[in-house]
Amino acid sequence: MSGAAVAAASGPVIPHYGTSDSCVLHNGAFCWHWFAQNWGSLFQPKLIQHVELTVIALVIGFAISFVLALAAHRRRWLAPPVTFVTSLLYTIPSLAAFEILVPITGLGSLTIEIPLISYTLLVLFTNTLAGLSGVSAEVRDAATGIGLTRRQMLTRVELPLALPTIVAGIRVATVTIISLATVAAYVGNEGLGQLIFDALHSNDFNTQFLGAGGLAILLALVADGFLVLTQRQLTPWATARRPV
Amino acid sequence: MKASTQKGRRGAIGACLVVAMAATLAACGSSGNKSSSGASGAKTSSGANTSNLPSGQPGKGKPPITMGDKNFEEEYLLGYLYTDALQSKGYTVTLKPNIGSSEIIDKALTSGQIDMYPEYDGVIYQVIAGHTDNPISAKQTYDTSQKFEQARGFTLLQPTPFQDADGVATTHAYATQHHLKTIADLKGVGPFTYGGPPENATRLQGVLGLQQDYGLTNLKFVPLTAGSQYQALDAGQVNSIAIFTTDGQLSTGKYAVLDDTKHIFGFQQVAPVVKTSLISSEGPAFAQILNAVSAKLTFPAIQQMNSAVVIAHQDPATVAKKFLDANGLG
Amino acid sequence: MSAFSAAFTFVIHNGHLLLTKTETHLAISFEAILISVVLGVPLGVVLGHIHKGSFLAINVSNVGRALPSLALLSVLLPVVGISRTNVIITLVVLAFPPVLTNSYVAVEQVDSDVVEAAKGMGMRTSEVIRKVELPLALPLIFAGIRTAAVFVVATATLAGVFGGGGLGDILFNEPSYKLSGVIGSSYVLVVLALAFQVMFKGLELAVTPRGLRKQPRLVPPQVVEPSVLQPAA
Repeated sequence: MSGAAVAAASGPVIPHYGTSDSCVLHNGAFCWHWFAQNWGSLFQPKLIQHVELTVIALVIGFAISFVLALAAHRRRWLAPPVTFVTSLLYTIPSLAAFEILVPITGLGSLTIEIPLISYTLLVLFTNTLAGLSGVSAEVRDAATGIGLTRRQMLTRVELPLALPTIVAGIRVATVTIISLATVAAYVGNEGLGQLIFDALHSNDFNTQFLGAGGLAILLALVADGFLVLTQRQLTPWATARRPV
Repeated sequence: MKASTQKGRRGAIGACLVVAMAATLAACGSSGNKSSSGASGAKTSSGANTSNLPSGQPGKGKPPITMGDKNFEEEYLLGYLYTDALQSKGYTVTLKPNIGSSEIIDKALTSGQIDMYPEYDGVIYQVIAGHTDNPISAKQTYDTSQKFEQARGFTLLQPTPFQDADGVATTHAYATQHHLKTIADLKGVGPFTYGGPPENATRLQGVLGLQQDYGLTNLKFVPLTAGSQYQALDAGQVNSIAIFTTDGQLSTGKYAVLDDTKHIFGFQQVAPVVKTSLISSEGPAFAQILNAVSAKLTFPAIQQMNSAVVIAHQDPATVAKKFLDANGLG
Repeated sequence: MSAFSAAFTFVIHNGHLLLTKTETHLAISFEAILISVVLGVPLGVVLGHIHKGSFLAINVSNVGRALPSLALLSVLLPVVGISRTNVIITLVVLAFPPVLTNSYVAVEQVDSDVVEAAKGMGMRTSEVIRKVELPLALPLIFAGIRTAAVFVVATATLAGVFGGGGLGDILFNEPSYKLSGVIGSSYVLVVLALAFQVMFKGLELAVTPRGLRKQPRLVPPQVVEPSVLQPAA
């Protein structure tokens, strides 16, 4: 057998992997065709993942913050320590936190969620408490005066009045998480950020940069806009344009 | 299973063919690429040719396997290649891609989150085992890494023919003009620039090694942003760049990779790192399949796959599947 | 726990590296802050003085705050390429809104009686702005600059995503610097952010006219926002 035939017989067969259009091969600014082709397999799943990450972090973060804020509203002395702990959690850079957590909490969503949730705690706790405390003494006195119980005061007076500030806090928390989750993909491979980091070591693939980044921006703006509308719906008496 | 005498004779002929093949591939595949002669390093195998691939579905009923891979495209390909090959033989494999860098994925391995992942033996040698010296051969790299892993309860299966190590590349024109074949030849070009990521400046497998071990005092380091090395080289901003030897961009033929004759960049064959107990509990076909896949991963094979993923932006799972199908492993 | 102490060791042994990275980090940060101030303060002050453009001045903050920083950087990459310029543009886009909004609100909310009195005294527009509105507005303007500055120094880490310099070069480079390096550089980053917070708060206090220091400042009804101390929020 000749050497070439031996090589052909025993070496691997390298198949043709298909051609790509010239836009992709020359890394054009944005290759619509490639984006559309890969929407279902690449962009859409990552977008949905990103939304899921955000929603879970928000729901859990808000639940914890709300309970803490109610407690601190009743017992003032709780406010400084809770603020301190949540601030501390807030200052641990997300990347370090993720990497430390992997051996402990594993490779699932939990590892990303823990830092995301802890970042929302400070904003949500502070704003919920500020909203509740912002109800003026006169209003409280009036409520007591007409015979409302503490529980009724909370549900019928304080919470509704605190709603604008609470929702404003949720707005900030939402866009913060969307932004953080994008960076978090550096260690936890979920969400749109993963596509951005992948593109960096795929020959700086422009279409992926623009697609993934653009989707994240759209997501943040849509979420923010939705919450603004929600805020206006919930508080018809507070629709005056305020700088937030 | 075939009769042992037939297998024995087959084995002898197989061994001769493997040696001849290795020599031929080394000759055909080189053209300035050092690592194509990776076959001259730790032997790919004695007898890992696909005629030994088990038939049927030996994986059915075996315990499930969790495989991981690291955070870059070549690892994604390896993950899909090994997973797909096992799955088509009936194994239950869950792939957890893009776990992170060596440090992170090693923690995932030792803490039981994953059972196996593909790793570069040079990385095990220096990063995970922590040896500070430079290994002198591919075999030493593999053997030392194997000893290290086995002491921890893991085993390296057979390594791939290809190596993916750091390297130095110039444009073809520059190499021709200055008669460059090896990194050492750079000594004679006068002052030249070398571009790479910022951290390269203090690495022994980078600027330090080039200046100290190769004596390239005429080297001027230019920090470049990630992923922009090839662009910078094309634009003439630098004379030479730091590369990885299996980069997809290198398959275009526009560049010349200089031989690392002093092996400052070490040896980097890939081998699946597997929990030792898994090898027995999954049956003999398990290792056979993985070794059969590894044996096919020559330098041109992996480089073409990298090119398809990184340049043509094909989906790595699809590219891996096509390769396996073309080689009777899918 | 060993990861945290290993990080301290990293900081001690890599002083020179961290210093170099910090220098670049500060250079990028100050450039972005300066540009935002030069663009945002005059525009905000003028709009506030003429009491026009409130919709723009206030909502640009809302939109700006919502933008995810890495995504913004990513979207600019095909346009500006991988470069320091890209990072600066991203930082300016993110820092400009609070500077503009605060400058606008600060001047807009200066007590109209005071402004009328000044005009009544015969001051020209430029004098009204310079001698009356600005001194009263400066504390709030500087509060906006402070918010922007702390945010910029934390977000400048993003330059490291592609090796563009600054502490992010270490933070986003776990393969080279290991966990100890990542955590170690984040210690330095936290210190930097706190230092900026203190420094700009000091500036803010310094420009508050003595008479105003005890009074409640004119603060726009604002959401309580914590200082952003970790990268790219």
